Amino acid sequence: MNRLEADVLVIGGGATGAGVARDAAMRGFSTILAERGDLAMGTTGRFHGLLHSGGRYVVRDPPSATECMQENLILRRIAADAIEDTGGMFVTTPWDDPAYAAKFHDGCKGAGVPVEELSAAEVLRREPRLNPRISGGFAVPDAAVDAWKTVWACARSAQEHGARILNYHRAVSLHVSDGAVTLAAVMDEATGETTEIEAGFVINATGVWAGRIAAMAGCGGVTVVPGNGIMIAMNHRLVDTVINRCKEPADGDILVPIRTVSVIGTTDSLVDDPDENAIGRDDVELMLAEGERLVPGFRSVRALRVWAGARPLFKDDKAGEADTRAMSRSFALIDHRERDGVERFLTITGGKFTTFRKMAEATLDKMCEQLATERPCRTADETLPGSESGHHYWIGARLAAREGDLTGDQLICECELITRHRLEDAMQRRATTNLDDIRRTLRLAMGPCQGGFCIYRATGILHDLARLDGPAANNSLRRFLEERWKGVQPILYGDQLRQARLDDWIFQGLLDVEHLPESAPA
Amino acid sequence: MIYDAAVIGAGTAGLAAALRMAEGGLKVIVYAKGVGSTHLTGGTIDVLGYTPHLVEHPETELPSFVDAHPDHPYARLSVATINDALGWFRGRMTTYDYTGNLAANLMLPTAAGAPKPSALVPETMAAGDLRGGGRFVIVGFTQLKDFYPAYLADNLSRFEAAPGLPVNARSVTQRAPIAQADVTPLSFARHFEDAEFRKAVIAGLEREVGGSDAVGFPAVLGLGEARTVCQELQDGLGLPVFEVPTLPPSVPGMRMFNALKRALSKAGGTVVMGGPALGADATGERVEALVTAAAARTRSYRARHFVLATGGFASGGIVMDSTGAVKESVLGLPVAGVPPTGEERFSPGYWASHPMARAGVAVDDALRPVDADGDVLYANVRIAGAAIAGAEPWREKSGEGITLATGYAAASSILESDA
Repeated sequence: MNRLEADVLVIGGGATGAGVARDAAMRGFSTILAERGDLAMGTTGRFHGLLHSGGRYVVRDPPSATECMQENLILRRIAADAIEDTGGMFVTTPWDDPAYAAKFHDGCKGAGVPVEELSAAEVLRREPRLNPRISGGFAVPDAAVDAWKTVWACARSAQEHGARILNYHRAVSLHVSDGAVTLAAVMDEATGETTEIEAGFVINATGVWAGRIAAMAGCGGVTVVPGNGIMIAMNHRLVDTVINRCKEPADGDILVPIRTVSVIGTTDSLVDDPDENAIGRDDVELMLAEGERLVPGFRSVRALRVWAGARPLFKDDKAGEADTRAMSRSFALIDHRERDGVERFLTITGGKFTTFRKMAEATLDKMCEQLATERPCRTADETLPGSESGHHYWIGARLAAREGDLTGDQLICECELITRHRLEDAMQRRATTNLDDIRRTLRLAMGPCQGGFCIYRATGILHDLARLDGPAANNSLRRFLEERWKGVQPILYGDQLRQARLDDWIFQGLLDVEHLPESAPA
Repeated sequence: MIYDAAVIGAGTAGLAAALRMAEGGLKVIVYAKGVGSTHLTGGTIDVLGYTPHLVEHPETELPSFVDAHPDHPYARLSVATINDALGWFRGRMTTYDYTGNLAANLMLPTAAGAPKPSALVPETMAAGDLRGGGRFVIVGFTQLKDFYPAYLADNLSRFEAAPGLPVNARSVTQRAPIAQADVTPLSFARHFEDAEFRKAVIAGLEREVGGSDAVGFPAVLGLGEARTVCQELQDGLGLPVFEVPTLPPSVPGMRMFNALKRALSKAGGTVVMGGPALGADATGERVEALVTAAAARTRSYRARHFVLATGGFASGGIVMDSTGAVKESVLGLPVAGVPPTGEERFSPGYWASHPMARAGVAVDDALRPVDADGDVLYANVRIAGAAIAGAEPWREKSGEGITLATGYAAASSILESDA
């Protein structure tokens, strides 16, 4: 059995966990982060990509709105490259209560969210595809954020400060002795090998799974209710600005332009198991119907992929009813010393992507307080790797890079403009045989053809580069096709159905992937 | 003017139907939005490869396959018709020959290295037949991103044709004498038609291919002169040479398209390409004219007979909208095989059988469209190719066999009805 030691063990590699690991490492703690899958593979990688201005909370939850706006400004500074400054609008459609507009405007003023009232004509001038029956709107500083890029940048920053990132390592047990968490066992998902980590402090940043980890330390009753929400990526940028409906937040009321697509979201249904991201036909239908209200013709646009993510809605069984309501909107930092008498163990859950840095700061502040050490947080001051220039990502960035060298490199993924060098570099850097990992890292196969052309190429390249044998490479290809199917099967209609059948033609009719040799069972 | 026959769609089915009718003396027009299935296929004619077990002898297995699949397009045709269609097709490929027949499938490597059963293949692919085992060298080019020889050879080497007949394959990757890093298959094919280029490729390979029985290349060995290119590579390397189809657009598919289209022009047929077919003027049981989109107006083509060869979902011949409504896209024909509302149309698992994959237009034995009761909807319309219901062409490895044989049979049916 392997053994590692660290001042801090962070369990969970979403935005919160990566943010906590970075903060801890920057405060000089030796840090290990363990994540059961790939980084940002859970809730973090399954949202619509909205960097909140806070506008969505100004009426119902002003403190959350203020917090969002503050963090929005910080992330624009430290994670510029992961953010596209699209701006946002809240628009009033014929289906929205016109009286909400005044409440919204006052709410923005009160919460410190910059707001500009727009006439209907101005809304349509800025976004001509929107419903012409929109009666007016407001501009707010919403933006689009690439979650994978942000989380990996946090992880790299943490590594630069000495942290160790163990992705595909599942926490299997926590050991409590003399009333303190002292030891954790994590299992390598690839090899099945277990590593024991002796940790001075353990931070549970597993979001919707936090109850399970807390229970490993004997802290019961940490209930995180998974609120399942579906999102659909539509082909093209139907809008270039984040569009929200100017009404109480509800299903299907937001359209986020991100990279080459626009994402409509979302729903909210309580589920039992956060790992079962079911996508109901009714949910898809609801998104299309609401999308049609925002952008007429929405139904005839290609839907590229659908996914669901589980928001962590924290409910402390040990707290009173009043506390629960107060906590569920913002994040929850659970002090297990105070709550359960378990030392050196904190749980951070709830919250939202936009405030992940603040959540990490609060967590580390609490830990330092318990360890009676003063180490100030610096995460808001230091720029993340890749964002040094301070320039925001812009939609033409990849094309501009490609235009610099039109003949010198091969374009492997035409949809997302990924060159062979870039792909090989990512494969080597990530040291993974999972093409889905590469997909999340580079957006490989995220465009209209959903890998129809690039995935055979990527498999061939991976085979040579990673020295895989044929069956192992075939497994990577098959797994990719299986995962992809989950994201397209519920939205097969129109042109995307045509694309899916063309892709079957390629993979089955031309390449006959069904009859490629499989690995012998281990 | 009134044409004898108007064909909608320029894939294998449409071009075959049109050519056969033109050869039979009919005045034929092909109307198509663009090029069709030819450019997507590997150039092989796969008639039946998996049922789901491997089919070695399509001719003997077709009758039992049809018995088990009474709604399959092959159930509308006799084995003799399929055989005739293959023979007819071979005679129309003028720039190079096709080899093979319905009696036994060849097993040719795909670009991923799977052995795929095909009945009829270009002569430039035949030496890749894996049925006898053997030692192969697979050649790739650094500038061609659609072909991975090491991956292909790795998989191929795990195939055993029969006990004691192993396949051994290794790979060579060569830098072709082309400046650019990213070269399309079609561009490669044009380079191969240059003798100097071929010489350079042969020189680079001479020392690499020793000890093998045959040398495999991506299917980019010339467009119009594939026979010459292959012959010269064979002579230069002193070994049989074969092509392996790459990702679309497919060079062997283009050869097929060019040969059929040229033959059609020679036989007096017309091909109009570039706009969508919008619908038809129909009276009762007959279609009178095809209505198409021309520049800023519609244009009608009147004909006595019509062949609808617009393909399935992949080609836009059959469409489904976001509400789940399914229709045939030109004539609005009813689509058979659609699971009732509420039932799963596509299975949750990718490898499972998907009910919607078999959806299409139901036809009678003359390939005329029929409704749910089996009554003919339009007496002067024939359906050919992937628009016909009942097949899972890519799983069965039956796509080109169905398109070719139904295209051929649709034309026969019209010629007979005129006789």
